[in-house]
Amino acid sequence: MKPSSFEYQRPDSLAAAMAALAGQEATPMSGGQSLLILLRMRMTEASTLIDVSRLPELSASSLDQGILRIGAGTTHAAIEDGLVPDASCGMMARVAGGIAYRAVRNVGTIGGSLALSDPAADWPVCLLALGASVVVQGESGERRHAMADFLTGTFTTLLEPGELLTRIEMPALPTGSRWGYAKLARKHGAFADSLGAAVLPAGGDPRMVLGATMEHARLLTRSMEALARDPDLGWDVLAPILRDDIAEADPNADAYRLRCHVATLRKALLQARGY
Amino acid sequence: MAEQHTLEPDDHAPTTGWVGASVLRKEDARHLDGKGMFVADVIIPRTREIAFVRSNMAHATLIGVTKPEGHAHQVFTAADLGEIDHLTAGPEIAAFRNTVYPPLAEGRVRFAGQTVAMCVAGSRAEAEDLADQVGVDLDPLAVVIDAVDAMKPGAAKVYDSWQDGAFMTSAVKGGDVKAARGKAKFSVRRQFKMARQTCNSLEGRGVLAYYDRRLDELVVYMSTQGPHVMRMALAQCLKIPEHKLRVIAPDVGGGFGGKNRLTPEEIAVVALARQVDYPVRWIEDRREHILASAHAREHWYDITLHADAEGTFLGLEGEVYVDAGAYSLWPVGAFAEASMAARNLPGPYRIQDLEIRNFTVATNKAPLGPYRGVARPGACFVIERMVDELAHEMGIDPMDLRQRNIVTAAELPYTTVGEMVLDTGDYPASLRGAIELINSDAVRARQKQGEPDGRRIGLGFAFYTEQSGHGTAEWTRRKSRVVPGYESCVTRMMPDGTVLLLVGIQSHGQGMETTLAQIAAHELGLKPAQVQVRHGDTGISPFGFGTFASRSIVMAGGAVAKSSRQLADKLRAIGAKLLQCAPEDTTLADGQVMSGSGGVSFAEIGRAAHVRSELLPEDVDPVLEEFATYEPSVSGGAFSYATHAAVVAVDPDTGSVELLDYAVCEDCGTMINPLIVDGQVMGGVTQGIGTALFEEIPYDEQGQPLATTLAEYLLPCASELPRIRVKHLVTPSTFTEYGVKGVGEGGAIAPPGAIVNAISDAFKETGAFFNTTPCTPRRIVAALDAARDAHSSHEVGA
Amino acid sequence: MRIQLELNGDRTRVDVEPRDILADTLREACGLTSVHLGCEHGSCGACTIEIDGQVARSCLILSIAAEGRPVRTLDGLAEDPVMQALKQSFHRKHALQCGFCTPGMLMIARDMIRRHDRLDEATVREGLAGHICRCTGYVGIVDAILDAHASLSDRHADSQADNQAGDRAGDRADHHHETRRAG
Repeated sequence: MKPSSFEYQRPDSLAAAMAALAGQEATPMSGGQSLLILLRMRMTEASTLIDVSRLPELSASSLDQGILRIGAGTTHAAIEDGLVPDASCGMMARVAGGIAYRAVRNVGTIGGSLALSDPAADWPVCLLALGASVVVQGESGERRHAMADFLTGTFTTLLEPGELLTRIEMPALPTGSRWGYAKLARKHGAFADSLGAAVLPAGGDPRMVLGATMEHARLLTRSMEALARDPDLGWDVLAPILRDDIAEADPNADAYRLRCHVATLRKALLQARGY
Repeated sequence: MAEQHTLEPDDHAPTTGWVGASVLRKEDARHLDGKGMFVADVIIPRTREIAFVRSNMAHATLIGVTKPEGHAHQVFTAADLGEIDHLTAGPEIAAFRNTVYPPLAEGRVRFAGQTVAMCVAGSRAEAEDLADQVGVDLDPLAVVIDAVDAMKPGAAKVYDSWQDGAFMTSAVKGGDVKAARGKAKFSVRRQFKMARQTCNSLEGRGVLAYYDRRLDELVVYMSTQGPHVMRMALAQCLKIPEHKLRVIAPDVGGGFGGKNRLTPEEIAVVALARQVDYPVRWIEDRREHILASAHAREHWYDITLHADAEGTFLGLEGEVYVDAGAYSLWPVGAFAEASMAARNLPGPYRIQDLEIRNFTVATNKAPLGPYRGVARPGACFVIERMVDELAHEMGIDPMDLRQRNIVTAAELPYTTVGEMVLDTGDYPASLRGAIELINSDAVRARQKQGEPDGRRIGLGFAFYTEQSGHGTAEWTRRKSRVVPGYESCVTRMMPDGTVLLLVGIQSHGQGMETTLAQIAAHELGLKPAQVQVRHGDTGISPFGFGTFASRSIVMAGGAVAKSSRQLADKLRAIGAKLLQCAPEDTTLADGQVMSGSGGVSFAEIGRAAHVRSELLPEDVDPVLEEFATYEPSVSGGAFSYATHAAVVAVDPDTGSVELLDYAVCEDCGTMINPLIVDGQVMGGVTQGIGTALFEEIPYDEQGQPLATTLAEYLLPCASELPRIRVKHLVTPSTFTEYGVKGVGEGGAIAPPGAIVNAISDAFKETGAFFNTTPCTPRRIVAALDAARDAHSSHEVGA
Repeated sequence: MRIQLELNGDRTRVDVEPRDILADTLREACGLTSVHLGCEHGSCGACTIEIDGQVARSCLILSIAAEGRPVRTLDGLAEDPVMQALKQSFHRKHALQCGFCTPGMLMIARDMIRRHDRLDEATVREGLAGHICRCTGYVGIVDAILDAHASLSDRHADSQADNQAGDRAGDRADHHHETRRAG
């Protein structure tokens, strides 16, 4: 279970990294906690790995005028430990702490996770629920995508070859906002069967997100609209709306998966409502 | 479990001696410093690495193998390996259908993962590069993946010449089950499935082999549970005289049964070492382990339990299918599995009318081998689930039904219908002990009250007996090719009075470097720190069979006791001369032969025996070295037993199970080292929990395994488990040294029964039937749905 | 190519290929066989080491990516007081059988103790997620970690510094029930 041969470069600036990514068939690698497994199993190949884990441009985070910026190279553990400013009322630290295992969280990065876009990953769900955007460095400079646009499919995003996800941006969640996050997996650190997030921003419209679908995390728009109209909407009324949302978000899910989705979303909402 | 009072190996001996003391382990220090020496840690200069080319099809004709250009000399197929005598593996039963399992495929592949060729390079990565370039031309054949279907007329076959799909078909019969059926008020018929697993020792298999010119021997480092028998088999199939073949099991990172079979990779690596002038090694990776090491379990049952109006069991009948995979692993594959399952199905209950037909079926999957508990996790799961099902049908408490039918202390020894003699103990006391330990009343109260989060609480129990330390009688009964009827020990005292034990057994986590030292120290009046145990090397120890079948403390412990007592007699004879008294008037204590107020140290005796023979009595030979083999006087086995109790909380929406509590009330006779017994029990329970809830290798229709990494094959971690609690009853065996019984496997036997009974209990009123391990959330929800559907269709019908 | 590793406090030069995995380099080129390989895909924890002062799985790090970063294995912690306490308590609590998972267990245990001022059984069990022991049933391991933590807390009762991380982590343990229930 050893990888095939590849070349390796570790540029020391974003500009150098972009140059390295442009000229050849290159694969960016951040923490490598998923990529190396795929390489080891020879399920994927790389001709050149561009190690972006030490780029200073990807490590900075700031909270400025209500906008949180997190460098793509920030590790899950740094977020878990509160080493980056929090603008999520604690949600991101909690979600970070539930990713895989501590030894993996110390190395794996938020940007790497988003770029890979594993359907069972936590960050797409969490960041979609928080209304975040990603910043992509391309050939012609930076561009921004809302999370909902960025995620396009199973292991696919709007990232093109030669591009790099450099940071995550999101509006700070107002103080007093509430959130809930639920993961269903057969054991700690195992691939999730379902991920549910609910964010009830103080003074804003509720957001609900489903993850661990066959494709990618999705906003549950009907439920969100219903909750926007009536934040205290009872479960009996909400449940059928949620089911419609779920059916659309994960159309190929079997009956068991659908139940899991209902359960995590319900749990997330209960948690957000403070039950 | 009370806090253990522990002793270090160099503490003063307890007044009762070392047997029974919780001595902290001698083997800990090296492992805690990261200085253990596993096969992959053995460095021999110039070693080249091996990667295997494996079949990616489950069943196919092997048309040819194409070697990559320029690298032909690094790629070896069956034709390149020189002469190999294929071992005959399987029980010595006429009706058993022998098969040939070549180390590298010849003409046919019969499971996905079967070894086809081996590639040799300077690093494993390079060897894998080569393996990727080897062309394997396969012509697919019809695939057999279900053992029950494989026995139906017209089913595809793994072996063309066989009349049906079974390696072996037999029946275990006793009494008159037809009469029992006629008398029955209740006849509960159920079907069960226990999934395919693999042992998943954390260290996989591994072999390093090279020719040692100085010693003129082929040295094989191998992660095995039994180096002596492996040497015998390797010598036989590779035609190497045994005195020129040395097998060393260094530190072994767990075995659990899987490393007690000789596998094709091991044969192929040693075969290659015969013909190349460099050392070669193969270190199994996890994917290979899950794909192609000895698999285990995969039983299917269709069983009917007959009982009278009071719930007295009358008889048991039905069928057992064991999915044995494609081949038979030396020495006896998995071919005790089906009949052992059948013989153990009555459990500890008074059932004398039995008829179980059993089928050991060939499929296109990796060959089955033994795994902790062998057959009994399945048998226990089924009978204990059946007891709960019957109790539920009768509307009574399953534990009352158990008490009504279980063999009492007064009835022991009790000969079961499977002709096993349950020897000593108090089974009803174990049932009561578990009820108390799990705090049944409190669990029932909580269950009644209901959980605020809607989860359902369930309480389940399971009882088992564990045949241990069985010797000649039992293994000849099983027609075993190798009859592990004894173990051996040389107790050697050095000139300075310290002791070496050379044992044929092999320890890989069981702590025998400590417990065997304890026994010798106990017999010789030494401290365990003064006794070194040497095992796992055919070059230094006498012949032995190794560690499996819960036999080591009975067999090897007995051999150590016996040879140490022989040495004690000699020490007393020499000491008596030096003390000028009669040997009968001497005792051994504190490293001395004592008589009255005088004493002579072992060092003085050692000096006399080795370098001052003029001091020896006339009829005593020099040198202090005693050899013994040992088998208990009764070789049908000493039976340990336990009741396990599990408390679960199950989410009815998602089927998620949390194990809230787990308790064991067990009796393994005299404990040499209670600390180590607890470790064996808890470790076994954890593996049993894996069987019950997590572990499974499913296959798709094409015979492709759907779990090949630990992301799919889930092993329980501390985060999935409660604190396992253990209470001991101690009923010594009447026919083993010190009254010990084996305890290695037991922990793994009962968890599937206890846990699935608990899940069933949580949903008692729904009528849902839980019949498959692992009892996954998905299966739980399916069972609840099925019960709901059945209920509603019943209502419609009515 | 030749790279420099800061290995257990020493500068070590080793030849690596880009594809070489740190665990293999530590074992094969540096002789540090305390680094055990149980799964090689990040699931078992046996290869856990410390890099940049943080625990990591050496089976999921390229050797070349570790260039110039301090790497510590169990071998380099012989004088570490936390590790010494852990070894003692692992021995006393029978927290190992075959010994294969032990180096990884010790590394994660040390990390847990260093990051938590308060440590309870639930936190330890959660912290052991992804560390597989096939022998012990974990009871001895959990007890050993709690025991070592307690003995070190006694010793350093006066110097409880930096307890914020500990509070956060303790808080987190309470909140993890969804996944526990997911079983």
